[in-house]
Amino acid sequence: QAAESDDAARQLTQPTSVVEVGAGYVSQDSFKFGEYNGLFKQGLYGIFNFDVRGGGSYDSGDATRWRATGTDLGLDTRDVSAEYEQQGKFRVNFDYDELRRNRSDTYQTPYLGAGSDTLTLPSNWLKPIVPQVSGTAINFRALSPTTGLASAIVGGVVTRPTAAQQTTVNNIIAADLPDFNNVDLDTIRKTIKGGFSYSIDSRWEFKASAQHEKKEGLKPMGAVSSQVSEYATILVDPIDQTTDQYNASLTYTGENSFMQVAYYGSVFKNDISSLTWQDANDPTKTATLSSAPSNSFHQILLTGGYNFSPTTKLVVNGSYGRNTQNEAFVTNGQNNQFPLGLPASSLDGLVVTTAFNAKLTAKPIKDLSLVAGYKYDDRDNRTPVNTYFFQDANETKAASASAFNAALGLPANTLGSNIDIYANRPYSKKVNQFDVDADYAVAKGQRLQGGYEYQQIDRECNGSWINCADAPRTRESTLRAEWRANVVENLSGRVAYAYSERRVNYDENAFLSLVPMANVVPAGGATVSAYQYLLQTGLTGFGPVAGFPSSPLSGNAAIFSPSNNMLPQALYASRNNINEEVGMRRFNMADRNRNKVRGSVNWDASDNVSLQGSLDYNKDDYNNSIYGLKNAESLALNLEGNYSITSDFAAQAFYSHEDFQSQGAGISYGSNSNTAFVGQAGNTIVSGGCFSSVLDKNSNAKIDPCLNWSTDMRDKVDTLGAGFKYKNLMGGRLDVTGDLVYTYARTDVGVAGGSYANNPFALASPAPALAPGVPAVFFIPAANMPTATTKTIDLRLGGQYAIDRVSSVRVLYWYQHLRSNDYVYDGMQFGTLTNVIPTNEQPFNYNVHVIGVSYIYSWR
Amino acid sequence: DNPPADTAAQKALAKDAVCTTCHNESWRVPILSLYQTKHGNRADPKAPNCQSCHGQSTGHQQDPAGVHPEVVFGVKSKNVSSAEDRNGTCLGCHKTGLRMHWSGSEHESRDVSCSNCHTVHIANDPVLSKATQPEVCYACHKTQRAQTHRISTHPILAGKMACSDCHNPHGSTGPKLLVKNSVNETCYTCHAEKRGPFLWEHSPVVDDCTNCHTPHGSTNAPLLKARVPWLCQECHSGDHGAAINSGANLLNGNATTINGMLPPANQSPRTQTNARACLNCHVLIHGSNHPAGAKFQR
Repeated sequence: QAAESDDAARQLTQPTSVVEVGAGYVSQDSFKFGEYNGLFKQGLYGIFNFDVRGGGSYDSGDATRWRATGTDLGLDTRDVSAEYEQQGKFRVNFDYDELRRNRSDTYQTPYLGAGSDTLTLPSNWLKPIVPQVSGTAINFRALSPTTGLASAIVGGVVTRPTAAQQTTVNNIIAADLPDFNNVDLDTIRKTIKGGFSYSIDSRWEFKASAQHEKKEGLKPMGAVSSQVSEYATILVDPIDQTTDQYNASLTYTGENSFMQVAYYGSVFKNDISSLTWQDANDPTKTATLSSAPSNSFHQILLTGGYNFSPTTKLVVNGSYGRNTQNEAFVTNGQNNQFPLGLPASSLDGLVVTTAFNAKLTAKPIKDLSLVAGYKYDDRDNRTPVNTYFFQDANETKAASASAFNAALGLPANTLGSNIDIYANRPYSKKVNQFDVDADYAVAKGQRLQGGYEYQQIDRECNGSWINCADAPRTRESTLRAEWRANVVENLSGRVAYAYSERRVNYDENAFLSLVPMANVVPAGGATVSAYQYLLQTGLTGFGPVAGFPSSPLSGNAAIFSPSNNMLPQALYASRNNINEEVGMRRFNMADRNRNKVRGSVNWDASDNVSLQGSLDYNKDDYNNSIYGLKNAESLALNLEGNYSITSDFAAQAFYSHEDFQSQGAGISYGSNSNTAFVGQAGNTIVSGGCFSSVLDKNSNAKIDPCLNWSTDMRDKVDTLGAGFKYKNLMGGRLDVTGDLVYTYARTDVGVAGGSYANNPFALASPAPALAPGVPAVFFIPAANMPTATTKTIDLRLGGQYAIDRVSSVRVLYWYQHLRSNDYVYDGMQFGTLTNVIPTNEQPFNYNVHVIGVSYIYSWR
Repeated sequence: DNPPADTAAQKALAKDAVCTTCHNESWRVPILSLYQTKHGNRADPKAPNCQSCHGQSTGHQQDPAGVHPEVVFGVKSKNVSSAEDRNGTCLGCHKTGLRMHWSGSEHESRDVSCSNCHTVHIANDPVLSKATQPEVCYACHKTQRAQTHRISTHPILAGKMACSDCHNPHGSTGPKLLVKNSVNETCYTCHAEKRGPFLWEHSPVVDDCTNCHTPHGSTNAPLLKARVPWLCQECHSGDHGAAINSGANLLNGNATTINGMLPPANQSPRTQTNARACLNCHVLIHGSNHPAGAKFQR
C-alpha cells in the first residue's frame, strides 16, 4: 500500500511529458473551414504534438526547470516553444509560430504575375465592350453571352445586336474568359520570439524580449485603374512584410512601492512598395497603387506605485513614443498625374504619443472603496503639411483651365480645371479624462457602486490652414450606478446602468482644410475666396438648402452657389464634391446620448446545477444628426446551465442571442436646374415621387423630400451550444468529450426612400418622342436588401483511452457545416457589374468531416 | 551563511507537511500537483509554502473539520474567503509585472479574484494556455464567446490567439483593459502596416479602429460593425456618397432595370451597392501614402 501511495504521490508531483503521433483525414477542400486551423485540404494530415518537461525534482535543491512543446507540427499552424529557467534567478524562452490565414480559393483574375509587384494582361486580352451599347466604353458585362449579346436600346428602339456586334462580343468572350485563372489568396505569418528575464536580487528584475514576424502571401485588393474609364479592378496584392517588436523592462518591487522603466519598439518593414498593373481599358497604360509604408514606433514607459497605507494606493504611469514614417513616395506609372512634381520626396512623418495615467484607490472606512483616476493621451501628429497637385487616377488634364493658375503664379492653362490641389491633414487627438467611483457595502452581501467620468477630446491638425476636425472638441460626461448582491445563499446578481452625454461643437466646413485653394480668390469674377464666401453667408459647402432660385443670382452668389447649388468643386480645386450635407454628423464626433443597462444572475441551484443569465442593452441616440448614423441599439441575452454529477462528469448548455440595430439617413440630392424635359420637348411627365413635371423635379433637385432615404440595419444572431466531459470511464481508462455549437446569423438592411430614373426611351431626336401621357421620369422606390444569412454547425467529439500506464490512444471526430447566403457575391460574377472586373468568387458553403487517431506516449 | 539548497528544500517541505500530511495524494482534489508548478519549486526560496497563501490556520490544524483554513481560495467552497483577502495573498508577491494596474481596475472593483481565473494546484493552469484561456474568460464573457463563432473572426477558436493578446485582465492604462494605452496601439501590435503615419490619413482610422471594426466576431467581413456601403454612409453624404443604395440597385432590381424597361445590355447595377461596394475602389481605406492617394484609391 505504501508503494501504491508513493506511486500516487509521484504521479501528482512529477511532471508528465507526452509525445503524440498520429494521422487525421479531412473529407473535403475548404478554404473557409481551414481559414485559421490549417485543415483546408482534403486528405491525410499528420498529427504530431509534444510536451516534454525536465529539470530538478520539486524536493531537490535544483531549481532548474525546462520545457519544450510542439503543437500542430503537421500543419501550417505549427508552434514550437522552449523555455529554460533557474527559478528565482533567470529564465530564457523561445517560440516559433506559424499562422496561415485563408481568404479565397475561388478568386479569378486575368492578370499574370500574381505574387509580384507588376501585373500584366495576357497578350490576347481584348478590351471588353458591349458594342450595341457603346463601341468604346469598357463594359465587363461583355464577359457573359447572356448580357454581352443581349438587346439594347438603339435610337429609342430595343434592338438585337448586329451580326458584327455579336462577332465582336463572341471574340471577346473567346479571348478573355480563358484568361481568368484561379489564384488562391492566403497569407501566412511566421513568428520567432525570444525572451530573457533575470532577477538581479529580491527587488530588481530585468526582462527583455524580441519578436520577428514575417508575413507573406496574397490578398485581394480593389483599385481604380482609371478615372477616365471609371472601372475598378480587383487585384492580387502581394504581401511581403516583416514586423520586429522589442520589449525591455527593469522593475523594482519594494515593500510599499514599485517602479518600472520599460521600452517598447516596433519596426514595420514592407518589402513591396507598390503594385503596378496594366489598364484593361487601354493596355498601353499602367496604373500604380502604393503599399503600406515601412514605419517604426519607439516608446519609453515609466510606471510607479506607492502604498500610503494598506488600503490607500497610488499608481502613476507615463509614456512617450515616436512613430516615424519616411518611405519614398511612389511616383512611377502615374501617366503625368503630377503636373508640378511633388513638394517632397517622402513624408517625413512623425507622430509623438504622450500618455499619463494616475489612479488613486482608497478605503477611508471599512465598507467604502474609492477610486479616482486621471488619463491623458496625446497623439500629436507633427508630420509636415504640404500641398500636392495631382490628377485623379490616370485622368488627363481638362481642356478648361484651373481657376488658380494666375493666383499660383503659373502660366495660363498650366493646370486644368480637374486638378486636385490638396493639403495633407495630419490628425492629432488629445484625450483628457477624469473619473471617480465609490463602492459602498450597503448591507451584508450588497454593494452599491456609483461613478462619474468626464472625458474631453481635442482634435486638430498641426499646420493646417484651417480647422480640420469635424468636432475640434468633444465633451462627454458619464454617470454610472451598479448594485451587486448576494443576499440569498447561492444566488447572486448584478444590475448596472450608465448614462453618457456627449456634446460637440460641430464644424461643417472642416472639409476645407483639405483644399487650401478655398482660401484663394479664384479667377472668373469672384471678389472673395470660397471660404470668405461661406463666412459671409453663413453657408456650408452644400450651399443654400433651397431649390432653383426664382430670380437669377448675381455676384458672388452666382459664382459660389449657382442656382443655389453646392460650392463648385473647381472653385476650391477639387475633382469631387467633398462637402457633406447640412446636418450630416460623423458619428464618432457627433452629439450623443448613451444608455447602457447590464444585468446578470447566477444561481447555484444545487451542488450539481448552476444557472446563469445575463442581459446587456445599449442605446445610442445621435440626437442632433439629421443625416448619417442617427441611432444604434444592441441587446445581448445569455443563458447558461452547468451540470455535474461527480468530479468526472460535467455538462454545459448555453444560448446567446444578440440583436444589433442601427438607423441612418441621407438625401440623394441632385443639382437644381430649370431643364423642363428629358431627351426632347414633350417628355415632361414624372411618374411617382414628389413632383409631377420634370421642371418641378429639377427645380427642387437639391431639396426634393422624396430623395431623403433612411436605412434600418439589423444583425440578429442566435448561438446555441451544448457540451460534456466524462472522465475515468471503463475503470479510469477512458475520457470522452463532446461539444456542439449551432449558430444562425441574419443581416437585414431595410431601406426607405427612392430615386428617379429617366425613361430609357426618353431620348434626344432622332429617337421617337414619347407618346403623350408616357412618363419621362420614374420614381423608383427603394427596396430592402435580401437577408444575408449564415448557419454553422460545429460538432466535436473526442476520446482518449489509456492502454497502459504510459500509452494511450486518442480519437477525434469533427464535423463543421457552414451555409452562407450573401448577395454581395452576385456582383462578383461574370456578366454582372458594368465597371468592376469580375472575380467569380463564391460564397462559403461546406460540410467538412475530420477524423483523427493518434498514439500518445507519456512518461515522468 | 545560506544553508545548502537541498537542505532548504527539505526544510520547506517539512513546513508543507503540516498540511500535506492530511491533504496528501489521497485527497479528493489534487493538492500535491502544485509541486509541478512554479509555486511548488522548493529549491526557489521565493516560492511559497502552503501557509504562505492559506494562512497559519492553527485553528484548522487543531480542528480540521470544524474550522476552515484562514484563506480559502476555492470559489465554489462555502467557506471561500473574500476576494480582497484572496487577492491580497497573491498580490503579496505578484504586485508588479502585469498586475501593476490591478488596484481600482474593472475586475478588482467587481470582486473578481485571482482564483476565479487561475487554478494554481494543477500542472497546467488553463488560463495560461492560448488554447484553453478563452474558455476561462467565457465563464463571464458569454457574448464574446458567441461572437467568435461568426463568419468573420480573429483566430480565437483555432487556438492561435488568446484574449490576453489584446487584454490585460489585471488592469491596464488603456480602455477595455487593453494591453496598450489605446485601441489603436493595441491593434498595431499585429497590424503595424496600418500604423503609418500616412500622407493621407483617414480620420476615423487614426481616431479609433473600433469606429468601424468590432474585434470578437462579425457577420460582416472583415470584422465590420455594419455593412458597406452603409457603414461608409454613416459619415459620407457628399458626391456619390449621397446616393441611396437599396435592393433596387442590385442586379435585376427596379433601379437597375428601370421597372423592367431597360434591356439587359443597357443595365448597369450600381457599383457602390454591389460586390465590395465602396471598397471596390477606395481600397486603401486605412490611409494612403501615394501623393495622388487622397481618395484612398492609390
